[in-house]
Amino acid sequence: MPKFLTSINAISWYFLFPVIFIHFFVVAFPSILSLLLCLTDWNGFGRINYVGLENFQELFRDRVFKKAVKHNIIWTVMFLTIPVIVALIIAYLLTGIKRGQLFYRLVYFFPYILASIVNCLIWRYIFHPRHGLGGWFENQGIDFLAKSPFAMKETALYAVAWVDMWHFWGFLVIIYLTGMYQVDDSLYEAADIEGATKFQKFRYITLPMIRPIFVLSLIIIIIWSVPTFDYVYILTMGGPAYSSEVVANHLYSQAFQRMNVGYASTIGVMMFFYVGIIVGFFAILRRMGWEV
Amino acid sequence: MATARFRQRSSYINHAILIFMALTIILPLLVLAFNSIKPSSEFGANPLGFPNEIRLMNYYDAWVNGNYTQIFMNSLTLVIGTLILNLTVSGLAAFSLAVLNPRGIQTIVVGLYLLVGISIPAQLFILPLFLMWKSLYLLDTRIGLVIIYSALNAPFATFLIRSYMLQLPTELFEAAKLDGASVMQLFTRVALPLSWPVFLTTALIVSLTVWNEFLFAITFIITDEYKPISSILFTFQSRFANDYGLVSAASILMAAPIAILFMFFQRRFIAGLTSGATKG
Amino acid sequence: MNKILNIFLTFILTAFFATSTFAATKVVWWMESSADTDPTVQEMMCDAFNAEQDEVELECVFKEDINDTIRPALLSGSGPDMFDTPGASYIKIYQDAGLVKSMQEYADQYGWQDKLLGWAYNSGVFDGELYSIPKNYETMIYFYNKTLFEENGWSTPNNLEEVESLAAKIKAKGMNVYAYGSAGWQPTHEHLVGNYFNTYAGPDNVYKALIGEKKWTDPEFVEAIELLRKHMVDEGYWSGDLETYYSLDWDDFNNEFATRGSAMLMIGTWGFNVTATNFGETSDDWDWNPLPILNSQAGSAPNYQLATGGTMSINAASKNADGAAKVIDWILSDKERALKVTGSLGYGAWLLPLKYTDADFDPNIDPRQKRFLTEFAEASDSGNYGYTTWTFYPNDPGVHIWKDMEVVWAGDITPLEFMEESQRLWDQARADDALVPVGKR
Repeated sequence: MPKFLTSINAISWYFLFPVIFIHFFVVAFPSILSLLLCLTDWNGFGRINYVGLENFQELFRDRVFKKAVKHNIIWTVMFLTIPVIVALIIAYLLTGIKRGQLFYRLVYFFPYILASIVNCLIWRYIFHPRHGLGGWFENQGIDFLAKSPFAMKETALYAVAWVDMWHFWGFLVIIYLTGMYQVDDSLYEAADIEGATKFQKFRYITLPMIRPIFVLSLIIIIIWSVPTFDYVYILTMGGPAYSSEVVANHLYSQAFQRMNVGYASTIGVMMFFYVGIIVGFFAILRRMGWEV
Repeated sequence: MATARFRQRSSYINHAILIFMALTIILPLLVLAFNSIKPSSEFGANPLGFPNEIRLMNYYDAWVNGNYTQIFMNSLTLVIGTLILNLTVSGLAAFSLAVLNPRGIQTIVVGLYLLVGISIPAQLFILPLFLMWKSLYLLDTRIGLVIIYSALNAPFATFLIRSYMLQLPTELFEAAKLDGASVMQLFTRVALPLSWPVFLTTALIVSLTVWNEFLFAITFIITDEYKPISSILFTFQSRFANDYGLVSAASILMAAPIAILFMFFQRRFIAGLTSGATKG
Repeated sequence: MNKILNIFLTFILTAFFATSTFAATKVVWWMESSADTDPTVQEMMCDAFNAEQDEVELECVFKEDINDTIRPALLSGSGPDMFDTPGASYIKIYQDAGLVKSMQEYADQYGWQDKLLGWAYNSGVFDGELYSIPKNYETMIYFYNKTLFEENGWSTPNNLEEVESLAAKIKAKGMNVYAYGSAGWQPTHEHLVGNYFNTYAGPDNVYKALIGEKKWTDPEFVEAIELLRKHMVDEGYWSGDLETYYSLDWDDFNNEFATRGSAMLMIGTWGFNVTATNFGETSDDWDWNPLPILNSQAGSAPNYQLATGGTMSINAASKNADGAAKVIDWILSDKERALKVTGSLGYGAWLLPLKYTDADFDPNIDPRQKRFLTEFAEASDSGNYGYTTWTFYPNDPGVHIWKDMEVVWAGDITPLEFMEESQRLWDQARADDALVPVGKR
């Protein structure tokens, strides 16, 4: 067999082939087909007319799209801060605890194993003005939470994000714990001898040691925020008055409610573009010597 | 002695914080559990508390109306099929990226490819995929859905396994190579035994995703006998919109198997992580 | 490979058996699912049909979210022989794509035009051929708590002034004026928009706008939207305030109406069933009225808007179109049976637009329901009716009218801006030839 077919470089490609093949087949190829549609006005059936860049011009006029982009950015920032900080603290506290650790882990992780539809059911019930907390307060004669936060335009986006974060942060705890347990105990012991505080140990031992898994979690959050869909769709459908509309939701409603498949594909192209920027950013970080 | 007392005091504070966070999760879940055994007449007067009259028939109704036994088996088939296919392809890929050639062009090219792939919204490709599956006779089959789920979960699984394998000591592989191990043996004899904890973590997360997924399940399975549980719960929510007792019971039935599975694996999962850490 | 072999064999066998006389043709029909009505429809329609003849075997499949599942199924060339759609705007798209079969030859053969009410037949005619038949027709009315009205000496309102003064009295009693909510179905907004268009601007003006003789930006439409905004946001007529309206679903607001949380319920005629059931559990009595006329230009009472609730069609790819046509003809042929089916569904579904006469009705029918059935059939047959958005709007403006109404309520755009966008979408739909049949007024 020729040498170049058995070189380590070639073999590493063989190992990669199955995943590339299956993923290309299921995701990339149909996506490319779909992306070709952004130059058309296809409605999901029959006739396909080429319309050039008309959809892109429309996109820049589309007020709802601009709103959705803004919401996606807010969404990403929220998820990069609140659940990450909480999960880091909790995971770190957990490593210092012997008794009850299993219990805490089970509890924190539990919402993550529930389907989005179940989580939404719970919180829609709790925030329901007639049932849940609203109803409970009403029964006590207190006028609190008489309006659902999902129904107020000022709070809808944050209320939906709250439910998604409630379900998500326990996942981060487990991820960080995985990393923290790989930190050598002798490092902490050495630090104890030096008289380091809890915070110092966290800052100078834990954080640097779990960096690969920490950075991975940030990438996951940024990337998962782009197509975020189910919670918004199930809880508010992007409403009221587009106050919780996100890009994937806008795409969905264009494709399935308004039957503008071509236009929806255009939104998909923009999502690609955005993801490309993020990926490029991390590629640069890697060039600068970060182990990502 | 002084440090020991300090530790004890701080551990009370730690527990207080941990318990508070646990309550934010437990209380809403309790509401769901109470609702699942509450007769519908009681919801108005007692929206949050434990029911005065326990009605377990909610579960029976959900079980019978949902044809739960068969649907459970359908979901299980999907999960197991996806785990086999997904962990195989992702494990091989992660091994290649982390051990075989971590500095190669592959890491960048495939890494970028999967990063982009993970963030494509399903709505973008679901229609063309449907037509492809139709022409390949994969539509309305469980294997067709298994292939889709394996592909959708592949980027995440690959990244997670890779990030673990990166931390495996390279000396082990060097030593095995000196002993004359082939590349495949490096994977099966060295990498796999050392990284099984991460395979467990990955398997759990992939199982959850598959169990809970409903957009593809509803689109690609047309025959009722093949439908998994998620699409049935989705059906329940639109069918019995305001029968909170019934819908809550159905939700708990959906969550129960995966919750039990998770608790069962949790012990071995922790043991694996800790032993992996001490041995490393 | 197995699968291909399988299909091959099936094909051979079907070809073989199709020639033999005793093999029944199988017709599969995907219907919009609704938990309350599915068992009745299965029993009184599907099973009854199969019991009565052995030429065609009908299989009814009740589908959740049929709009999402039928589209890829039709597109891929498979799918059922017959299927439901929510209305004409969908049929228009399917017809453009050649996915739905023209039923003209069957209509001629079986004489469907004589069996159906005129407007109902016309609503399925595209480019001169029949493509769909309404399964149900309905209108918007309001129910009121009769006992409550009598106790307080309130009378039912007939114009805007009376509506507003009654609303003030109801609110003074600590109740909400109307029960309603959009949590179960976001497009409930368009019910309200349609009501205000038809009772403020009036059916004549709506008709002119639908056929393009008038602009949607004309003052009567903008004023109608402004009035709706005022009643919803400033006055909180529906369930107290906008946010609660957004949070309540069908059961919530039906309950609220039955338990004196609200004095009235402005809803479609599908509300008869649940209202009668809910009030059966209370000591209060209910009644209904056509919607009050809010402006003299809206013409004279009664103001009934016309709507079809779902249509039936034949898949263009169906191998058994003849069988499907037999199913449809069987359904349309027996008025007594049709009334019995819809009667057991509370006249809220499967009210087929047939030419009923007084003799067709069950003598035990609730007089309030009978009043509706006869009055509305008369009004609709004589052409004296208004127009609902979900039956007469093409797809794109139709979605806009309910989705963006929220933006008006949120105060982000003015009613005029809202109607300008609507007009733009209408112009575009007209240019794309996407309009649905309106019929002559």
